[in-house]
Parts: sequence; structure tokens; C-alpha cells
Amino acid sequence: MSGRVRIAVARRFLPGCLPVVVLLAIAVDRPAFAVDRFPLALKDDRGVAVRLAAPPHRVVSLAPSLTEIVFLLGRGGSLVGVTRFCNVPAAASAVPKIGGVSDPDVERIVALSPDLVLCTTDGNPRDKVRALEEMGIPCFAVAPQNLDAVIAAIERLGVLLGAADRGSAEAGALRRRARLARRSSRDAEKPAVLFVVSTAPIIAAGEGTFMDELVSLAGGRNVAARYSGRYPRLSVEELVAARPDVIFVAGMTGVERFPEEVTRWKEVPAFRDGAVITLDGDLVTRPGPRLVTALERVSAALADWRAGHPKAPAESSGGKR
Amino acid sequence: MFPVLAAALLGALALSASTGPVPISFRAAFDAIFRGTDDTAARVLLSLRLPRALLGALVGGALASSGVAFQALLRNPLADPYILGVSGGAAVGALSVALFLSADASPLLPLCAFGGAALSALAVFLLSRRRSGVSPERLILMGVVVGAFLNAVIMLMVTLAPPGKIPGALYWLMGDLGLGTPRRVAVLFPYVALGTVLLYLLSRGLDLLLLGDHAAFQAGLSVERVKTATYLTASLLAGSVVAVSGLIGFVGLIVPHGARVLVGSGHRRLLPAAFLLGGAFLVLSDTLARAASPAGELPVGAVTALAGAPFFLYLLRRNGRRS
Repeated sequence: MSGRVRIAVARRFLPGCLPVVVLLAIAVDRPAFAVDRFPLALKDDRGVAVRLAAPPHRVVSLAPSLTEIVFLLGRGGSLVGVTRFCNVPAAASAVPKIGGVSDPDVERIVALSPDLVLCTTDGNPRDKVRALEEMGIPCFAVAPQNLDAVIAAIERLGVLLGAADRGSAEAGALRRRARLARRSSRDAEKPAVLFVVSTAPIIAAGEGTFMDELVSLAGGRNVAARYSGRYPRLSVEELVAARPDVIFVAGMTGVERFPEEVTRWKEVPAFRDGAVITLDGDLVTRPGPRLVTALERVSAALADWRAGHPKAPAESSGGKR
Repeated sequence: MFPVLAAALLGALALSASTGPVPISFRAAFDAIFRGTDDTAARVLLSLRLPRALLGALVGGALASSGVAFQALLRNPLADPYILGVSGGAAVGALSVALFLSADASPLLPLCAFGGAALSALAVFLLSRRRSGVSPERLILMGVVVGAFLNAVIMLMVTLAPPGKIPGALYWLMGDLGLGTPRRVAVLFPYVALGTVLLYLLSRGLDLLLLGDHAAFQAGLSVERVKTATYLTASLLAGSVVAVSGLIGFVGLIVPHGARVLVGSGHRRLLPAAFLLGGAFLVLSDTLARAASPAGELPVGAVTALAGAPFFLYLLRRNGRRS
């Protein structure tokens, strides 16, 4: 091809292509585009616009899930204060403590002179967050209610912390893993599942909890969803009546075991078949990146159950198939 | 009156045994009890519902008897193991066992709760003693003070305990029959039997105490010995109950008044009546707690407080009309 022809082609097509190329670049690079725009203003889950002049260097996290996300984004070094429950990753334990999730010490936080406080509307007391804001400390509240929102929050915090590329990359990876774990359960038998956060007394995860979502994403049926309240307390008889096929036990800290007087109910398929599975408590209760790991575990356990019950009695899974 | 009360208790037990998420037909229940069938319905009935109902009857009866004793002892209608700080002491004793020994319901638990109850009762007694003797008003006042202090100790223990060491402590503290297993009934039974029989033997003394210390002494009663025995026995009852089923309020305060309306204030009649009435009341409250709650289970202590106050008012009004 001669030089003249090449130029002619360029002359004909370039003017039309240019806007498309620019738009494409913006669309692909949007998070990075936003990072370049520090100072930035980002609305948090309360609807409050948080303004940052530069990427924050002194960050306080008021929830274990948020601490995990900050480390995931590679910004763990910017943390100057975390709660006493922040134990993942191991490096989080070395960060100075500012109290608990429900009782953060405002004075201690102010003394750390943070340029950003990450909080949640679910566990952190609203008036303490307000007190921090009145002292001129920007507070960014995140309160994801389901797995998709958790992953979206990771992306948003990436932008906020000046690690947008890392944020979208990690979010993409998590979305892929979640999709994979979810797909394995499509069009299969739905086992009755009970997710227990305490075994004595028996307290189950009901509707509206992350555990409830994990069960339905993994293709199970949460038998505690019919009780009102997020964490209904069940009697042994209610457990027997619900006849769960699989029971997950998730202690808040350390796993308590079912007392013997409960497990001897062989009418409950999960006890009869030994399908009582222990999960790390903070894996399934923290709205952080490891929720995807929890989904993978729950999904794998239910897949195991299906493998052992190719034609399970579908008496109460009406509507399926 | 006693056949009526006994029938009420039996009715409450039957109602409680027929309420629950697993459907049990009358025939299945009959077979389970008299023919020893062994299906799910039978096992639910025999090892969950009946023990729970029996536990409710024991706990309610013991609390009511203990309330009768304290009210006679202090000649004060507001006396009750709860208000006197005795329940608080028992809770501290029971929590100490769970914290320092083992969280299991060992037969030791009621004993330590009794120890806590007796110690706090003794503290109240000594604190309110003056040269002129022990005045009922001062006893109540000191009971409230000691009770508040013990509540703080309970909160400290629950907050500072290592996680998982006292599982379900909050539910237990709200009063809970949820762990009514045959074993717990067996653990509690000797304590309650011993306590109620002792109180019954003391009933003549309790009658005399109502006349006042001086008159009782004149009537030939060794006042101090009867008082000490009553105090210890009532503490034993309240303590053992708290150890097994936590802090259930209102029963010890209200039921004695109800029983008094029904059978008068002679203790030989009052004590058994209060026991039956207390048992029926708590079993019904527990049935209500299980049946009415959409969120799994309610702590029975919440229901006794909710159901107790209107019942109390009704009895007061009825009483007023009659006299």
C-alpha cells in the first residue's frame, strides 16, 4: 500500500473515529479517570457527599469488613486505627485500636488525626460518627446489604482511597469467582439449609442476612427464613420440625458445638447424615471480600449434598422443575 | 379449691404439651405415653415438651412458694426473691460456676446458685440489722441496693467473659425454659421438693410471724430460728430455680397474692395453693411465649411480666369487690 493511499484512508475515517475512540477510552478508564480528579466528591451510603482534596494517608476503619477491604486495595499502610475486632489480615492486628464496632472511642480517633474515617451505618453508632464529622473529619459510610453491593463497595472505596485500578481489578476477580460458585447450583435439587450462628441456644440466620443470601445463591432453601426477625431463636422442636438437610454452624468467635441432646435427633437429616458443617464465624458475617470465599464453601457443601442425594425427596421444594 | 388448682395445673401442662411446631395428634400422644411408641412425635412429646412443661411447673411453683415465704418473713407484700436481691445473688453464683468451672448443667450449679442467693440474702440481712432489730422497710431498701450492685456484677461478668464461655447468657438472664431437658428437671426436682417441704413444715411459724415478732415470741415461737430457716429455705428455692432457668420475674411477687385471694392467708393452705398456681401460671406463660412468637422463641420472662400485671390488677379488683 502506497503512502498516498494510506493518508487518504486516514483522511476519510479519522474524523469519524476520533469521538468514538475518545468515548471508548473514557468508558474503559472511568475509575482511573476519576482518580485523576482528586479533589473528589463521592456520595456514601447515607447520601452524604464526602470530599477529599487528595488520596487519604491517615485512615481509621470502624469495622472489620472495611479493614479487610482497605488491605485488599493495597492501602493497609494508610490505616492508623482499627477496631479491636479487626484481625484479618494478620497485619491488621498491629494497627492501633480505637475500641469496638459499637463503641468506638471518639477521643482516641480524633487523637490519631485521620484524614478519613470509614464507617458503616449497620454497626457504628450514628451519633459518634456525627461527632467525628463535627470535628471536621470526613466520614465515609458503607452499608452493603448483599453480595453485589459488597463488591460494588470495594470498587467505590478503591476510588476513594486513590486505588481505583486495584479496586476494579479486585472487584472483577470477586465477581468472576461469585459467578462461578453460583453457576454450579443452577437447576439442581434445593436442600433445606439451616444457618446457625449460635448452638446453645439455637439462633439461626433468617431473612435479610448475608447467610440467607449465601444459601439462596448456592441453591439452597433457608428453613429459618419463615421466622420473622433477622436472627430468630429456635427451639429444638422447631429444628426437628424444619428437618434441615444441611446445617452450617458459624460462631461469631470460635465455634460452639451443638449439645449432645440436640444432635441425637436423627429425624433431622443433617444430623442423621452428618451434614453439619462448621464455617468460620467472621467469614460469613462480615460484608467484606471473604464473603465470596464463604459463598464458595457453602456452594461446595451443597454440591456435595446433591452428589449424595441424586434424587432427594422434593416434597417441600414445590415449584422446582 | 385445691382440686380446681390442680386441674388448672394439669390443664396447663396438657395445653403446653400439645403446642408446638411438630404436629402431634391426640392418638399419637396417647400411644407415646401409654404404649411407648418411638416415632418423632412421641420423642418430641416425651423428651422436649413434657420436660419443658414440668420444668415450668417446678420453676413457677418454687418461685411462688419462695415469694410467699419472703412476704411472710418481711411482712411486706412487695417482697419477692427478685426485689430482695436474692435472684441476683443466685445469678452471680451460677455465672461463677459457668465461668470458672464448666458451662455444663452439673448438679453443682443449683448448689452454687443457692450459695450466691444465701450470701446475698445474708448481706441484706446484716446490712439492715440494727440494735432494735430488722425492720421490713430497711430490708427491702437494702435488698434493692444489693440487687442493683449484683446486677452490675452480672453485667461485668457477661461483658468481660471470654466469648463462648457463657453461651446464651443474655437469654438465660431474661428467664428461659428453652433448655427444659429431662436432665434439668431431674437436677432441679430434689431442690424444689426439699425447699417446698421445708417451707410447709415452717407454715405454722410463718402464720405467727405475720402477727409481728413480739406476738410470735409471746406465742412461743423461737422467732430468730424460724426466720433464719425460712430465709435459707426461700433462698434455696429461688437460687436453684435461677440456676436452671435464669431470672424470671413477677411470678414470686404476683402469684402469692393470687393464691391468697383464693385460699386465704393461712400458710398451710397458702403454700400448696401458691405452688400449684405458680406452676400453672408459668407453664401457660411459656406456652404463650412459644405459640405467639413469630420470631422463633420469646424468653418467658418477658411474657410473665406482660401477662402478670393485668392478672394482678384483676385479682386486686375482684378482691376489693368481695370484701
